[in-house]
Amino acid sequence: MGEQVTFAIAAIGAVSFGIGVVFFKDAFRAAVSLIGTLLSVALLFIVLMAPFLAALQVIVYAGAIVVLFLFVIAYLGVRNEVPGRDRLDAMQAVGWIALLGIAAFGVIAVLDSTIGPGVPAPTNTDVGSPAAIGHAFLSDHIIAFEGTSLILLVAAVGAVILAKRAVQLEGGR
Amino acid sequence: MTVPMSAYLVLSIVLLGLGMLGVMRRRNPLLLLLSIELMLNAGNILLIGFSRQWDDPAGQIFALVVMVVAAAEVVIGLGLVVAVFRSRMNLDVDEMSSMKG
Amino acid sequence: MQTTLAWFVLVLPLLGGITLIAWPGEPPRAVTRLIGIGSILIAFALAVTIFVSLLMNAPDDRTFTSGLYEWISIGGTSLDLSILVDPLSVMMLLIITGVGLLIHLFSAEYMQNDRDYRRFFAEMNLFVFSMLLLVLAGNFFFLIVGWGFVGLASYLLIGFWYERPAAVAAAKKAFVMNVIGDAGLVLGALLILRQLGTLDFQQAFANADQLGANSGTALAVCLLLFVGAAAKSAQIPLHTWLPDAMEGPTPVSALIHAATMVTAGVYLIVRCHALFQMSELAGQIIAVIGAATLLMAATVALQQVDIKRVLAWSTVSQIGYMIMAAGLGAYSAAMFHLLMHAFFKACLFLAAGIIIHALHDEQSLNKMGGLKKYLRVAYFGMAMGCLAIAGFPGFDAFFSKDDILATALAAGPVGVACWIIGVVGAFITALYMFRLLFRAFFGPEPSGGYAHAPHPSKWWMAVPVIILGVLSLVGGWIQVPFGWTGISDWLAPVLADVQHPLEPSNAQVWLTIGFSTAAVLGGIALAWWLFAADPERRIRLAAVARGPREVMREAYLFDEAYDDVFIEPGRELGTVLLDDVEPRGPQGLITGTAAVIRDTARVVSASETGFVRSYAFAMIAGLAVAGVILAIVVAGVA
Repeated sequence: MGEQVTFAIAAIGAVSFGIGVVFFKDAFRAAVSLIGTLLSVALLFIVLMAPFLAALQVIVYAGAIVVLFLFVIAYLGVRNEVPGRDRLDAMQAVGWIALLGIAAFGVIAVLDSTIGPGVPAPTNTDVGSPAAIGHAFLSDHIIAFEGTSLILLVAAVGAVILAKRAVQLEGGR
Repeated sequence: MTVPMSAYLVLSIVLLGLGMLGVMRRRNPLLLLLSIELMLNAGNILLIGFSRQWDDPAGQIFALVVMVVAAAEVVIGLGLVVAVFRSRMNLDVDEMSSMKG
Repeated sequence: MQTTLAWFVLVLPLLGGITLIAWPGEPPRAVTRLIGIGSILIAFALAVTIFVSLLMNAPDDRTFTSGLYEWISIGGTSLDLSILVDPLSVMMLLIITGVGLLIHLFSAEYMQNDRDYRRFFAEMNLFVFSMLLLVLAGNFFFLIVGWGFVGLASYLLIGFWYERPAAVAAAKKAFVMNVIGDAGLVLGALLILRQLGTLDFQQAFANADQLGANSGTALAVCLLLFVGAAAKSAQIPLHTWLPDAMEGPTPVSALIHAATMVTAGVYLIVRCHALFQMSELAGQIIAVIGAATLLMAATVALQQVDIKRVLAWSTVSQIGYMIMAAGLGAYSAAMFHLLMHAFFKACLFLAAGIIIHALHDEQSLNKMGGLKKYLRVAYFGMAMGCLAIAGFPGFDAFFSKDDILATALAAGPVGVACWIIGVVGAFITALYMFRLLFRAFFGPEPSGGYAHAPHPSKWWMAVPVIILGVLSLVGGWIQVPFGWTGISDWLAPVLADVQHPLEPSNAQVWLTIGFSTAAVLGGIALAWWLFAADPERRIRLAAVARGPREVMREAYLFDEAYDDVFIEPGRELGTVLLDDVEPRGPQGLITGTAAVIRDTARVVSASETGFVRSYAFAMIAGLAVAGVILAIVVAGVA
C-alpha cells in the first residue's frame, strides 16, 4: 500500500513538474521545475528498488546537469523567446496526431498481458544494488563501460574547443 | 511489486509526450534541451522498470549509459548555445538555419 | 660479325641523338658537332667495313639475319627485333650514312647561326637512326616502326623553324600525307600476316607464291604496300607534301627530302619484289603512276621560281623514274638510279644551300643571276649536279636513267609507253635544270645588284659539295652498258628470285642511248637559247602559253582539288557536328543528366530546411508511425 502511495506521489510530481518545464515562459523557472521532475523520478527509482540509480539521478542529474543549465541561464541572462510567428504552426496538427500515435504504445502496454495489472513482481531485490551494477558493468557490459568513458572524454574535448572558439570570436586568445 | 508495469509505462509515455510537446513548442535552445532531458528521463523510468520486472541488471546499465549520454549532450549542447549566443546575440533555434539545403 | 657491326651502325646515331638531347643545358657548338657528326662518321666507317667484308664473301653468302630478342609471340607467329643484312640493305646503309655524313658536315657550317644548333643535330641523328631502322628491319613490323619514325623525324625537321606558320603547316601536311601511307603499309602488312602467316621478310618472300599469281589478294597486298611507298616517295596522288616540305632547312631537304627518306618507297618495292612479282597488274599500275608522276613533276618544275621548289619537283620527277622502274620489274636499275640520285640531288641541294646562305635566305630565281663569279664552289656543284641529273653523257643519270629506260623497253607495251614518257621527261629535266643553272649563275645580276656581296662558303660547306660533285661525274661508272654491271652484280643475291629478269637487247640499249642523249642535248640547247644566250628573250616570251604555264606553276591544282574534295567537306562536316549534332547529342546527354540530378537535388534539398525543430518533429513522427503500426499488429494478433 505504501508503495502505491509513493508511486502516486512521485508520478503526480513528475508530471506536474514536467508540465512546468514545458510551459514556463521563464527559462530559470523551467530549469528549477526540471529539478522537481528529476527528484520525483529518483523517488520512482527507489520504489523500483534501484537505489544506486536513484542516487546517481540526484547527484548527476539534479546536481550536476541542471546546475550547469542554471549557470548558463544565469550567464546569458534571462531572456524570453523572440516573439513572432512559429514556423512549426503548420505542423502542429500533425504533431498532435504523432502524440496520439505514441499514446498507442500506452494502449498496447495496458493490453499486454505480460506487463499489465496482475503480473506478480519478482522477489529478487538485488538487481539495483551498487554491487550488482558494478559487477555487471565490469563483466558483461565492459564495452558499454569503455564506450561511456570515451563519450565523456570526447564531450570534454569538444566543450573545451567550443569554448575556445567562442573566446576567439570575442577577440581573446 | 504491487504497482503494475503498465502504470510505469503510462507515466513514461506521459512524460515523453510532455517532452515532445516542449521540443515542438519551444524555440529557446535551452528549453529545448530541458525538454530533451524530460524525454530521456521517461526512457530511464522504463529501463529501470523493466530491469526490475525481468530481474535483469542490463536495464540499469542502459539507464546509466543514458545518463552519461545526457551529460555529454548537455555539455556540448550548452557549449553550442553559448557559442551561438555570443556570435548572434539571439536565442532562437529557428534562426540557426545556415545548414539549410 | 657483319650483323654485330650493323647493330652498331643502327644504334650509334640514336646514341648520338640521345646524348645531344640529354646534354644538360646547351652544349658548346664544337661538342654538338663532334657528337652529331662523329656518330655518323663512325656509323659510316662501320657500314664500309660491312660492305668490304660482304665483298670478301661469295655472292651467295652475303645475307645475314640477327634477332636481338623475341618481342611478341602469338599463335606460331613471332615478332623478333631482327635485322636483315644483305646487299640491298648494305647499299642503303652506305647511302644513308655516307650522304648523311656529308650533309652533317655541311650543316655544321650552314646552321652555325641558328640558335637551335643542338636540336637540329639531335633531330638529324634521330632521322638517320629511323632511316637505318627502316632499311635494316628484318620484318614488316620493324619496317613499319622505322617508317613511322622517319615520318616523325621528317615532321620535326620540316617544322624545324617552328615560328614560321608556313613551316608548321608544311610539317603537318607532310605528316598527314605520310600517315595515309603508313595506314596503307600497315594494312598491307596485316594482309600479308593473314595470308602468309608471317611478317618476317625472308619467310614471307619465300612463300610469296601462296598469295596466288595475279590473284586479287596479291593485287591488294601490292597496292596497299604501294600506298605506303607512294606517300613516302611523293607519287601521285600523295605527292603534294614534298614541295611544301622545302620549308625545312636546306640540309634537311638534301638529306631527307632528296637523298634518303623519299626513296624509301623505292626501297620498299625492291625489298618486297617477291610480292610485287605476284601481281603483274599491280606492277603496271605502279609503273604508270611513276611515269605520270615523273612527267607531271617535270613540267611543274619548269615553272617554279623558288630554287628549292624546282629541286623538290625534280626530286618527285626522279623518284617517278625509280618507281616506274620498280613497277616494271627493273629493280637493279631502280636502285642504281636511287644511288645516283642520292649523289646528284644532295649535291644540287647543298649547292643551292650555299646560294641561299650566301644571299641571306633568298630563294627566288628572280633575285639571282650572275652568281658564277661569286660562288665558284656552288657553281661547280650545281653544274655537276645539273649535268648528272639531266643525264649528260658520262654523268650519273646518263647511266642510271638509260638503264631504267632500256630495261623498260624490254618490258612489253606498258614498258614502251613508259619509255616514251621517260625520254620526254629526260628532255624536260634537262630543260628545267639548266634553266635553274643559267638563271642563277649566268645572265645579268638582279636589278640593283646584291645588297650584300654573296660571300663564298667555308670549307665545311664546300667539301661536301665538291665530293658530291665529283661523285656526280664518276658515280655512274659503276655500271656501264656493254662494260660492267657493278650494281646488278652486287644486288644479284637479293634479286636471284626474280622470275623474269628483264634483259634489254643491244638494239634497245643503243636506241635508248641515242634518244635520251638527243633529248638531253636538246633540252640543254633549248635552255641555253631561252635563258642564257639572250636574257631578254625570256621576258619577251613571257606571254607564250600563259594558261598552261599557270596551271603548271600551280602544280596542276592538286592542292586546290584536295581542298575542295577533302578539306572543305571535312570542315563543313565538322561545323555541322559542332553546331548541330554535338550540342544535342553527346553534350545534350551530359547537360541533361546534370539537369535531372540538379532538379532532383533541388527537390530533395527542400527537406533540409535548416529548421532544427522540424528534424525533431520528423523523428517523432517516425516514432508515431512505428507506434501505430505496432498497435495495429498487436491488435491484429490479439
